[in-house]
Amino acid sequence: MDPSEVEFLAEKETVKIIPNFSLDKIYLIGGDLGPFNPGLPVDVPVWLALNLKQRQKCRIVPPEWMDVEKLEEMRELERKEDMFTPVPSPYYMELTKLLLNHASDNIPKADDIRTLVKDIWDTRIAKLRLSADSFISQQEAHAKLDNLTLMEINTIRSFLLDSLNCMYKLRSNLQPGSSKGQAMDY
Amino acid sequence: MDTQSYFPVQAGVGMEENFLSLDDILLSHERLPVRTECTFPRLGYLEKSSDAHDIAEGSKMELPLWLSKGLYERKRRVLSVELPKVYREGWRTVFNADPNVVDLHKMGPYYYSLGSQMLHFDSPENPDIAGTLLQTFIGRFRRTMDSSQNAYNEDTSALVERLDSLEKGLFRSGQSGLNGFQSWEKGQATQITASSLVLNYRKRKINDLQP
Repeated sequence: MDPSEVEFLAEKETVKIIPNFSLDKIYLIGGDLGPFNPGLPVDVPVWLALNLKQRQKCRIVPPEWMDVEKLEEMRELERKEDMFTPVPSPYYMELTKLLLNHASDNIPKADDIRTLVKDIWDTRIAKLRLSADSFISQQEAHAKLDNLTLMEINTIRSFLLDSLNCMYKLRSNLQPGSSKGQAMDY
Repeated sequence: MDTQSYFPVQAGVGMEENFLSLDDILLSHERLPVRTECTFPRLGYLEKSSDAHDIAEGSKMELPLWLSKGLYERKRRVLSVELPKVYREGWRTVFNADPNVVDLHKMGPYYYSLGSQMLHFDSPENPDIAGTLLQTFIGRFRRTMDSSQNAYNEDTSALVERLDSLEKGLFRSGQSGLNGFQSWEKGQATQITASSLVLNYRKRKINDLQP
């Protein structure tokens, strides 16, 4: 999977905007988007919010978790815990990048938020690598992945699956006779 | 997205080889020390060291893997294959002690694959060889993972030169995951660039000619 595809999936999340135009309720296949009145907040998907922002038709309200103190608390919690802590949003990395690139004027302390989110990401990726290493070195059969986001899984997916494949095949060398008769087809 | 004009067949790990894989074809050229168990009549001209008409029983030669595998049969006793140095007792203790120190590329770039193929030849040390292969892989995994996931936009030749070809494949997939994420984060993923296929086929002549 490409990071761009994960970003595409992330654009389905909803975010609050304050439009400066008025429009009746629109009926889309995915759901209804409520009537737009200037100055009144409304929930829309991120793809629409970014489009309206680029056409200067709205103002984006940052989501609740995108706040310096909350992110600092989350970063400290992440550093203390060995397991993965619950994330602010299942697409926090993508939303941070999208909103901070297009709407940084609507979000206070944008640079601090970017740094904090990067710190949280780095800590989680380091934990992911540690657990992948212990997975391989103890030759476990399965592992439990709580609270991991799709983006994190995506960066390590191809490497981990290839190495688990190699380990499985090297392990099946130890049992001769069970590996005869396997066919590869293309 | 990085698409290639053909999809390469990967090397088969373990006791099977993939017939179409280039890595496996190169692997089967590795030479093994071999001792003949019966005479090969009228093939003496292949053996340069002696002038005999046929290859006598018990002569030692070096045959490539593909020939040894084809000729090997336990019941008819045509050949007996000796283990290459790297898979013998002495080197096995080195690997068990610290797998990270060894330069696996120098030991034969196909350490894991050749080791798995050696298991076809029914040596009494087979379980030990298989166990050592697995433990070496596990021991070196950490270093391969760390180096592939952290080396962005650097010259990786120093990191890669001590890796076996299997580990090089893993290194490459780790790098591709890392590069994909970094290029997305920088915003390069949304920029439209000419595909490498088009550039290779040189369809862009007009653009090149225009000043």
